[in-house]
Parts: sequence; structure tokens; C-alpha cells
Amino acid sequence: MSHAAELPRIAGAANGLAALAAARTKWVVPALFLAPAFVTLGLWIYWPLVEAFRLSFYEWNLLPTSEPLFVGLENYRRLLALSELRTAAWNTVIYTVGLLPLTVALPLLIAILTRESVGKAGAVYRALIFVPMMIAPVVVAVVWRWLLNPDHGLVNKALGAIGLPAVRFLQEADTAIWAVIFITGWKLMGFSTLLFAAAMTNIDRHLIEAARIDGASEGQIARKIVIPLVTPTTIFLTVLTVLHGAQWSFVYINVLTQGGPRNATTNLYYLLWEYGFSTFAIGWSTAAGMLLFAVFSLFAVIGLKAMNRHDQRVA
Amino acid sequence: MFQLTRRAALALATSTLTAASIASPALAQRIAPPSTTPVTITYYNYNLASAGIGAEATKMLINEFMAAYPHIKVEGVPVASGQVLARVQADIVAGRVPDVAQIVFSDLDFVVRNLGVKPLNDIIPPEEWTAHTAGMVPAGLKLGAIGDKAYGLAYVFSTPVLFYNADLFKQAGLNPDQPPKTWADVKAAALQLKEKTAKSGIYPAVYSEFDWLLQGVFLSNGGRALSEDRTRVTFGEPAAVEAVAMLRDLLKSGAHANMREAEAPDAFMSGNLGMILTTSVYQRSFLKAAKDKFELRAAPMPSFGDKPSKPTNSGSALFILSRDPVKQRAAWELMKFMTSKRGYTVITSEIGYVPLRLDIVDDPQYLGEWTKQNPLIRPNLEQLSRLNQWVAFPGANYKQISRIEVGAVNEAVFGDGDIGKIMRDAQERAQALMPTVP
Repeated sequence: MSHAAELPRIAGAANGLAALAAARTKWVVPALFLAPAFVTLGLWIYWPLVEAFRLSFYEWNLLPTSEPLFVGLENYRRLLALSELRTAAWNTVIYTVGLLPLTVALPLLIAILTRESVGKAGAVYRALIFVPMMIAPVVVAVVWRWLLNPDHGLVNKALGAIGLPAVRFLQEADTAIWAVIFITGWKLMGFSTLLFAAAMTNIDRHLIEAARIDGASEGQIARKIVIPLVTPTTIFLTVLTVLHGAQWSFVYINVLTQGGPRNATTNLYYLLWEYGFSTFAIGWSTAAGMLLFAVFSLFAVIGLKAMNRHDQRVA
Repeated sequence: MFQLTRRAALALATSTLTAASIASPALAQRIAPPSTTPVTITYYNYNLASAGIGAEATKMLINEFMAAYPHIKVEGVPVASGQVLARVQADIVAGRVPDVAQIVFSDLDFVVRNLGVKPLNDIIPPEEWTAHTAGMVPAGLKLGAIGDKAYGLAYVFSTPVLFYNADLFKQAGLNPDQPPKTWADVKAAALQLKEKTAKSGIYPAVYSEFDWLLQGVFLSNGGRALSEDRTRVTFGEPAAVEAVAMLRDLLKSGAHANMREAEAPDAFMSGNLGMILTTSVYQRSFLKAAKDKFELRAAPMPSFGDKPSKPTNSGSALFILSRDPVKQRAAWELMKFMTSKRGYTVITSEIGYVPLRLDIVDDPQYLGEWTKQNPLIRPNLEQLSRLNQWVAFPGANYKQISRIEVGAVNEAVFGDGDIGKIMRDAQERAQALMPTVP
């Protein structure tokens, strides 16, 4: 074969190679941009997850002086055999359901009521509602412990002033869980209200004005326009509460009741933390983590489905 | 990729640590002879983490030590008592091996099995060991030992003391010079006190994270939390169940105040509780609170009928974790100082623990003056001679076991379920967590 005939083919091949190289390098730049995110996610989220899954089959305390002992499903079996587990699971449901009025219903109501308050008054209102959110949880817990003290707490003083007997809020099994739920919710209310308020400012004013011209009352506007239009936020906050509600109460349980009296305020997070994390027993803790991961993944999937369905319906 | 890096990193970390921390596991090496080469050691201490007096007194002792041994620099690391072990573990994993650590007795078995601590009577020259431990209470010295090996040097500890408010006793028509001796006496006195003064009767502080006092109550009734051969959990056996039933009866009769353990000391200090069975460490706070308000008195731990009560100890021992002979020497000097006559003088008078050296109690050079002014220490000292070891559960799950035990007692006393069944079920679940090889 002559060289002349070969030249175009080489040129063609070169072109092809260049194109190929271009095609190959086309993803390099985006990949470089994405790499930090992927590496970070992988390093901090997915690798620990895989590693935790693996370690949940061992009995080990991370010490280089002792060997990890493979125990199979023993850690899971031990956790599931805890006598407090049933109470803790049920309490977790109570925490979740009990928090919803405080993290969704009440903030929605407050946001609707303060929707029209603009200017300084509105700012002060929102600031007041948001302040609890900014206080450190342990501080909140300690302050509430004082407020709820049966002997000299302000709440009981107030109850006494109107002739009611003192309530041992955090000491009695029937009231303790509600006290903890209330404190958790009180702390979160500002955050939810803020989200609702933000969602409401996105509502087209024309819709509301048109409704007003048509003679709709404020109640009707709230029911027929505002509430339906902030549904994505409502679903989001509901999902968030379901997924994290029990977790948010952890600090208050730890500081105020340590799960007591007689496990009345313990929940899955607290119980598993008590057994798993207080001793550095990595098998117990990772198995506990995996169990929580499994249960709450299920809730997360359901929640995400609900959000998607809503988005599709709207689209 | 991550797997490889991780392996490499782990291997590196492990080998470095191994090299640094486990010099020769087979041969217990002696600590270095005394020298004046400058050395810095870390000292993990939970009194440093306690607000107020425990921290101040410990800092003072550390400073005195550094003044006496100018070549040794001690870095005090404050860690809360419940977290010392987790912290020590975490730091060992991270490659920062503590040199000396004050570790709670319930962690003893774990420390010995997992942290590779060598017996002190192997690494310390025998003549030094004998010279230092001479004059220390033998029962106390045993607390840091498993068998005849002393792994830790018993450091600070307390015994259960029945503190009572003598003024409330008088108001209720009780004789404060004759404090209750048995649990039956306690119940009667508490009920009378409650009826006459409208204050709460008694709170036995046996429901918390650490089960030392609870074990004392079991022992006093002939029960145990763990069998003597350390293979069986026994808190569900009849004698222990009977002790728990006594507590339930105390509560249901109204003699036992229904409050959370954390609230009881406050209630006692504010004069709203007649008696509290708790650690002698509270003595100082109670004295302070009682000053000009009521007369504080103390009695030994109550017994079950004629059986003499068997007080246990709370507290901790000092452990040498360092593997470097030079640091070990510095650590030993520090431990000697902290448990010296001077050390215990400060620890007893400033913090409220029991001195492990009884010869200083009446010695005017040490505690003499203080003891005269603080006769409350006497019941505590009296119990020292019949002290029983707070037994540490064995194995990797020892903390979970004591949690199950304390949880069951809470359930049995404050709940309404069948006490025997609650305790037996708990015993069975705890037994499943015991190590298969003792």
C-alpha cells in the first residue's frame, strides 16, 4: 500500500482519535467539579455506612490491643431482646405523633395569623417565635427543668396561684413524656413557622386579592388558597418530624429524665445509645445504628413518595 | 481505593500503637529507676471534672506534687466518672495513650482484659511496693486487685452512709442519738417522721448508673450480683429478690420518698427529707447545706434484721497505662504522692472520701484536728474494716449487664410487676451477655 493512500486514513484516524479523546476528556472537567462532592460523600457517608454494616457483626471495642470477634447476628439478637425495646418503640411513635401538632399544625396557624403583619410588628413577632430555635438545646433543657420544678418552678407557682395542685411534670410517668415532647416542640416551632412564613410570601398576591374581590372571607382565603399552596412545606415538615422527631428529643431526654421514670420517656435513639455508645462497644452501636437506619429508611421512602406524588399532581 | 488507603492507614496506626504501647506483652518489664530527666505525663482524673471542691483539691495535690518533683510535669485531664473508660479507649485508639488514669472499680475487669494493664506488683520493684502499701487498709488495697494481682492502686472511695436530719428526728419524736439500725427500724422511723413532720422519710440511692450501693444492699441480705467464681449473674436469686422486695415495700408504705435519685440530695439538703442512704462523698455538701439550718448526723448502712450489714465501696483506682518505663516511673511517683499520708489528708478533708491510711486519722500532723471537728467521718471509718468489694461484671458487655440490673431494680421497686419474675428475667438476659470463657 502506498504512503499517499495511507495518509488520509491516518488523518481520519487522528481525527477520530481526537474526537475520541475529546469525547473522553469531555467528562473530565465535570467529573473534576463533581469529584469533591463525590469524594466527600463517599468518605464521610457511604464508606462509614458500609464499615458500620460490617462492624455490626463483630464484638469489638476498637482497641488495637484486642481482636475483633466475629459474632454474626448476635449484636442484633441482643438488641432485639432488650426488654425495654417495646416500650421504646411505642414511645418513639408517641414522640413522633405528639410532635406533629407542634412542628406542623401550630406553626401553620401562627404563620397564617401573622401573615398580614408586616413592618416592625411582623419582624418582632417572627423574631420572638424564632428565638427558642437559637438557644443551645442543653440550655433549653436546664431552663425548663427549673421552670417545671415541682417545689419552686414558675409553672407550678402559676398553677398554685390559680388553685391547682403542683404537678411533678418530669417525675411522673404519665406526664414526663409529654413534658419532653412539649419542650422539643417548643424549640422547633420557630423553625417551622419560619418555613411556613417563607412559603407564604411566595404565594402570588393576585390570587388572594382576586379572592378578596370575589368576597372571600379571611378564613376562606386561608383554607382555600394559603393552606393548599403551602402543601409542599407541610409535607416536608411532616416528613422531617417523622424522620427526626424522636432524635430531636434526645438531648432533653438525656438532660431531663435519662429515659425515666421507669423508661417512660426513653425512645429508640436513647435506648440504643444507652446500650451501644456508652461503652464504646462498636458491635452494639453499629448494629443499633443499622436497625435505626433500616426502620427510618422505610419512613423516608414513604415520605419521599408522598412528596413526589404531590409534585406530580401539581405539575 | 478507600479500602486500600484505610487498610494502610489502619495498619500504620496499629503498628505504631503496638510498637509504642505494647513493648513486651510476655515479659512484665520493671519501671525505670528514679531519675531527674524531665518528663511529662497525662493524668486522667474525674475529680478534676467535678465542679467545686473535688477539682480544686485535686489540682492542689497535682501542684504540690510538681513542686516536689520539678522534673515531672503532670497534665491533668478532667473526664466525668461515667465517661473515663470510653475516653481512655478513644484516646488509645487515637494513639494518645494516657499515662495514669483514675478508673472506676466497675471497669476493673475490662481494663485488665482489654487495655493490657500490667500488675503493679510485677512492674514496681517489690521493696518499693511493700514500703508504699505498708499502712494502707488491706481491704482497700484488694479493691484494685483481681486474685492476688494488684492492677490498680485503690485511690479514692466512699462507703454507703445513712445521713439523717437530727432536727426532723426530734420534731417527729424520734431519738437522734439512736439512729435506725435495721431496714425495719428505717421504715418505722421514716413513717413516723413523715406523719409528724409532713416531710419525706428515706431515700436509698441505689437506682443509678453505678450499682455499688445496690450490691451492698444485696450482700447485706446474703445475696450477690455476681457469683463468687465470676461466671454467673445472680441478682435474680432469692436473697437479692428479697432485698428488692424490701425496697418496694419501703416505697409502697410511703416511707421511701418517691422521687428521682438525682433529686434526693437536694431534698435532703433543703430539709425536706429525713434520711438518705448514699455515698459518704456527699458529707461536705450536706454539711455546708445544713450549717445553721439543721443538725446533720450519720449512721452506718442499715442491716436486714440481725445479719450485719455489708457495706460496699464506690470509687476508683489509679492505673498505669503508659508502656514507657520512664513515664511509668513518673506515673508511680505521682500515684505514690496521691495516696500518701498528705494525699489522703487532702482527699478526706477537702473532698470527703475515706482515707486508705487509718494511721493519719488521729495524727495531729495530718487529719487529727479535722477528725475532731468532723465526727461524721466515724461511721464511714468504722465500715472500712468490714468493707466488701464492689464487684465488676466481666466481659465486653459488663456495662450492659449492670444497666440491665439497675433497670430491673427500678422496674421492680417503682412498678407493680412480680418482683421475682422481673429480677429473674433480667438475670437471664444478663447471663446471655456474660463471656463464655471466664
